[in-house]
Amino acid sequence: MIAQRLLTATRPIGRLLAEWARKVQALRERHRELFEDTKEARGVTLLREWLSPEQQAQFDADRYFDVIGCDSGKRYRIRYGCSTNVHEIDGDGRSIVGWCFVPTGNLVAGDVVLAQKIALETNELRALAVANRFPVEVPRRS
Amino acid sequence: MATQIVMDHTGDTRHYFDADDTKALSKAEERFKALTSVGFTAAVRTAAGEVTVTRSFDPAAEETLFFPRLVGG
Repeated sequence: MIAQRLLTATRPIGRLLAEWARKVQALRERHRELFEDTKEARGVTLLREWLSPEQQAQFDADRYFDVIGCDSGKRYRIRYGCSTNVHEIDGDGRSIVGWCFVPTGNLVAGDVVLAQKIALETNELRALAVANRFPVEVPRRS
Repeated sequence: MATQIVMDHTGDTRHYFDADDTKALSKAEERFKALTSVGFTAAVRTAAGEVTVTRSFDPAAEETLFFPRLVGG
């Protein structure tokens, strides 16, 4: 008897929960559609198209990738971002110095990062000539 | 279909053209000259995925990417 009453009483709550779940699902879908069409997402798509397979894997895992400067053979780590995101690194992957250079215009992060990659891989010295150097914090060895 | 990709505030703008169409090719060359003359860098990818910068229009390039002049940040 009590169980029957409980079942009857909670039926509207179940319907409400189901309705709420449907609304959440619809909102998720809408968010996904919007996000996939944003300029940031397009920038990332373009970037990934132009990365080497190794760089792509690195980017997907850590949101950064390494490039080799075409003139010096030095290694640079480019993090996803629009400024102070290029670090020259040593053989152990530790940052030595930062280089700040960006393409003009109000570009999305994916575009900025791609322009930095191409510049370092094809005309490193010219890129560094316009870049501003900045110190990076090097973690102390224990 | 060949493509010219121009980075801009919308992410990028893509111009598709048929490289066998003389008129379309001429328009693509004009676009190339117009962009590089205002400081854009043109980069192309080889079939092997290697990226090179080009200073002259290559009618055989499948995909050319243009990005604006670099400045110190």
